[in-house]
Amino acid sequence: MNAFFIKEADFTQFLGNMIGARKVIGPKARKNRFVFDQIRKPEDLRLDYDVTILPPKKVFFPPRQELIRFHGQKGSSCIQPESTVLFGVHFYDIKAIDMTDHLFRENNMDFNYLAQRECTTLIGSNVQNIFKRAFFGSVGKGVAPKGHDGFTTKISGGYLYEVYTAKGKDLLAYGTFIEATEEQINEAREVNDSVMDKCPEKINHDSLEISEKVRSKFNSPVWEEFAHDCFSCGSCNLVCPTCYCFDVQDNWNVDQVTGSRDRTWDGCLLEDFSSCSLTGGSKENFRETRGSRYRHRIMRKTSYLTAKLGGPACVGCGRCSSSCTADIADPVNVINRLMEE
Amino acid sequence: MSDKVKVAYFDFTCCEGCQIEMTNFGDAAFLELLNHVEVVEFREAMSEKTTERINIAFIEGSFSREADRARLEEIRERSDIVIAYGACACTGGINALKNHQNDYHEEVYGKDAKMPHLDSQIALPVSAAIKVDYNINGCPMDKDEFIRVVSHLVHGKQPVIPNHPVCVECKLRETVCRYDQGDHCLGMVARAGCGAPCPADGIPCEACRGFIDHPNEESLVKVLMEKGGLSRERAETRSRMFTANCRADAPEKIVSPNK
Ligand code: SF4
Ligand code: SF4
Repeated sequence: MNAFFIKEADFTQFLGNMIGARKVIGPKARKNRFVFDQIRKPEDLRLDYDVTILPPKKVFFPPRQELIRFHGQKGSSCIQPESTVLFGVHFYDIKAIDMTDHLFRENNMDFNYLAQRECTTLIGSNVQNIFKRAFFGSVGKGVAPKGHDGFTTKISGGYLYEVYTAKGKDLLAYGTFIEATEEQINEAREVNDSVMDKCPEKINHDSLEISEKVRSKFNSPVWEEFAHDCFSCGSCNLVCPTCYCFDVQDNWNVDQVTGSRDRTWDGCLLEDFSSCSLTGGSKENFRETRGSRYRHRIMRKTSYLTAKLGGPACVGCGRCSSSCTADIADPVNVINRLMEE
Repeated sequence: MSDKVKVAYFDFTCCEGCQIEMTNFGDAAFLELLNHVEVVEFREAMSEKTTERINIAFIEGSFSREADRARLEEIRERSDIVIAYGACACTGGINALKNHQNDYHEEVYGKDAKMPHLDSQIALPVSAAIKVDYNINGCPMDKDEFIRVVSHLVHGKQPVIPNHPVCVECKLRETVCRYDQGDHCLGMVARAGCGAPCPADGIPCEACRGFIDHPNEESLVKVLMEKGGLSRERAETRSRMFTANCRADAPEKIVSPNK
């Protein structure tokens, strides 16, 4: 049996013990939104969050990261993984982490990402409140969340804790868990199933159908139309749990000898993203118009990666829709409109 | 000594706040930098003046009198690289707020309005008079960005001047968007590089670094009205504080040297 129950009254003590023993990152309030951040007091953990501003991938792939530190021509790696419990991740973000795990592992392995990923214990939690732009119930339905070590679901009287790996099992030591009953397991399943059709937004077609149709619209004028109000601000990229592009630059310290090679998140909606140097000092931008950049993101989310990932590279979190000040980034509007054309 | 990069500082129409920001580096950092560069002219910190060849000229302040053109041309002539630093030099800055008005002489100087030394034209960026190689934006300019640019040049590399908007930097530090707080902001069109401190402090971005190369001004007005709750008139003029020369209605539209 790998399902356990902990009473509501014992949960705070469990969190307290875990925080005392391990570095724990979980959802926390920031003004009227939520962010993943280090949990230092049990009451800071907000499992009732709807969605966080940035996805939890930032734990393995920080927005800014030193890759190497150099001294003259000599460089040394800065990979310093830290054992971490990433607690309270919603299932859609677990799906996204599984995608970035795959993407950072294939071809050139990204050791910075993988080192931190490997020493992290990833624990999910059920969605207690649904974000106002979420559509996770209707996207990539065939893709199951995996790669996590455990999952908590709030049920009557407490929490069901499902353990999938040894790392997940280790956490049992911090609290008073008892074996869960069949009833409790069924209740948890129902809790998790029931949110699936409560999303405020819905995609009406199957992902394979979408993938083909959207691809066939490559030369359509709709892209410029969709992107008319676009600021090329990249917010839709930067908040996305499945986006993984970055830019690398060298920076010297004032002494002009030491410095670091740093990577920073980048995004295909930004004008300079696809600008490159050519021989002879000239420049070329292969996605010069707003429409072409806008199209590229939608293509990446719906079509280009589906074969590789076994489903769309979008998990329906709704972050892009809400972070777009012009409110034009919502994949649901774009996809449903294209499918009806 | 002689293999050090020779730098000189010049100022035009401005408050000289950026030069002060430069002296704010603190002794340690500034002295460290002096191991690699030799300052041959810097009015705010030394009295010497030169006519020798300069590797990097830093120009502060806007170009607001035709009479300054010759001095700017002379600087360009003897400098390998010209860098405009601070909002006034890069975009005309706050000085350019006068560009769409014509009664400011009387408003500000009253009976002295006609004095010859007060005569000036519209405020333009340095790039309106001479070729500028790089802009270090901001009001005041950011001393860390200054170090980054100088370091790249000392190493013979091309510095990267950001052409993405402030939204990027808010996202990187996970700031709650001003629009999510029922406020408004200019971050979507404002050139980044500052690290977005204002929205993080709960203040809308004022675009003190000017616009990105291709700001969507039409969309800005729309969002300021629909989400920010501004009247059409205010939405249309809201960005003018620092971008009078970057806006579509600028008297003489400027070209970013960073392209
Ligand atoms: S595309 Fe938008 S909804 Fe889909 S995963 Fe990315 S941020 Fe979430
Ligand atoms: S968030 Fe919206 S405005 Fe910004 S780049 Fe994406 S689609 Fe364009």
